[in-house]
Amino acid sequence: MSSLTKIPAGVQYFFDDEVKLRRYVERRAMDVFAGWSYDEIILPMFDYHDLFARGMGEEKAERTYRFVDRDGALLALRPELTSLVARTVATRFIKRARPVRLCYSGEVFRYDEPTERAAREFHQLGVEQIGEPDILADIEVLLVAAEVLAALGLDGFRIALSHVDFFNGVADFLKLEARGRAQLREIIDRRNSLAVEEFLQTRAPGVEESRRADFSRLIQIAGKQDVIRRAREILINGRSLAAVDHLDKIYSTLDSLGFGENFDIDLGDTGGLEYYTGLTFKVYAPGFGAEIGGGGRYDNLIANFGEPEPAVGFSIALDGLVGAISMNDDKLHWRGAGEVQTISFDGDTARAFEQARRMREQGKQVKICAK
Amino acid sequence: MQDDALALFARAGHLVAESELNSRKLIVSTTDGRYSFVLVKPGDAPTYVEYGVADAGVCGRDVLMESRADVHEPLDLKFGRCKIAVAGKREVLGEDYNLLATVRVGTKYPRIATDYFHAKGVPIEVITLSGSVELAPLLGLSDRIVDLVETGQTLKENGLEVIDVIAESTARLIVNRASFHLKRVEVSDLITSLSRVIDSGTNKGSAESG
Repeated sequence: MSSLTKIPAGVQYFFDDEVKLRRYVERRAMDVFAGWSYDEIILPMFDYHDLFARGMGEEKAERTYRFVDRDGALLALRPELTSLVARTVATRFIKRARPVRLCYSGEVFRYDEPTERAAREFHQLGVEQIGEPDILADIEVLLVAAEVLAALGLDGFRIALSHVDFFNGVADFLKLEARGRAQLREIIDRRNSLAVEEFLQTRAPGVEESRRADFSRLIQIAGKQDVIRRAREILINGRSLAAVDHLDKIYSTLDSLGFGENFDIDLGDTGGLEYYTGLTFKVYAPGFGAEIGGGGRYDNLIANFGEPEPAVGFSIALDGLVGAISMNDDKLHWRGAGEVQTISFDGDTARAFEQARRMREQGKQVKICAK
Repeated sequence: MQDDALALFARAGHLVAESELNSRKLIVSTTDGRYSFVLVKPGDAPTYVEYGVADAGVCGRDVLMESRADVHEPLDLKFGRCKIAVAGKREVLGEDYNLLATVRVGTKYPRIATDYFHAKGVPIEVITLSGSVELAPLLGLSDRIVDLVETGQTLKENGLEVIDVIAESTARLIVNRASFHLKRVEVSDLITSLSRVIDSGTNKGSAESG
């Protein structure tokens, strides 16, 4: 009886215009991916739990919905699609020319804390480019993401750029142990500049006070070239400086292509440090109060499934795009389906169906009514 | 908290007219029309900000810790200072929670209380209350309370004392993660103008550069 009186957390049903909008958004995004020569790959709904643990790490794989195969092996509903792509490329695409460009569209399933806003079941759209170490690939995937948002009319979108070596360089410089790293990472992530200043006071007493204060402000506010300029003045470790140079090159190219306003440099973003190895980014759309997607370079992932290979990619939540579009309804590039034409049935069955066929051939939507 | 917050915003140049404040409006604007303030219960502020219906907010660190809202926390506004403390009758239990299999804790902060005791390896039964928490140990409803303590006067008058301080709390500026980027200029202007007032208000000499 409970199946009639209760609904499992995170379960969603879609109908009417929302379905049409979701399909429209999916199609537009996949068209953009195709335009950049990303071939669609259709992936299994579930696989061994171990595969996802290898891919995104044990901790995140804890959030999967798990069940057992008939032989007792542990399976999991896919919590993300990148691991499945990585495995495929590392095993079945060995002989193909590099880089391999693949895109996907599909539901993923993740158990999140009840307080977290993320739905347990959601639909991701994404691309992965595997085998290209050059910055060219970093810039390409950013432009693909930007084009998807522009194609949907979400012109006010923002993509915040960061680089894992900015944080890693600072943590190395401070010779932080695992606990110190986690602590610094959290306070930077929350932009708690006072806490960062206090942390540095204890951990880096040798560094001038003004430099510590400037650093704590650097991570507090995102920006454009001004952030890069200030970072170069403040930083004293080579690894972080190299990360800033990399971001500078990316931003300059995007700016010269007219996307300067849409991209930010955000050195306070410390997300995905376990997984990414270079550029990282998060995607925001006007009207939606949380990130709708993200990505970056992950040069260590493919080695978990075969030979090491560089890779870069991103995914965007279909729900996020649809949510943002719904909030910006007036600017919609989308319109609902065409009007439905009604044929009133007058007793001549064959004639009604014949008329309906002719109308459908003209591209109309038809329904036949008995009265 | 609301009066202190509005006073701080006014000193930072974001003034709300007296007439606006005296009205019964729940959404008021600054005189220059640049920012609007939504007046909500303190405990609700993180929710409004996390969902992005408010781009930024002011709330106590206690509320923020309890809500676990996934927001930025760029500034300590340095008012509303108090402690989140464990209190009770020391003679009843001392600090040796191992005398009991499970410690009963009365609180308005079930998560903070649970995290604190679990970190010590002590199983607890949380009794969630919405006010007059000091009553719980007096009437035998709980062994301990976890509550906000300003001066400790109320505790003392009820024969209770602070056993341990979990955290210091002050008012914080919190910012929605998406607004941080989508409204970058407005958000960074707000942070910069507020931090200038806060830094000048304390003796903490911090180098003004960049």
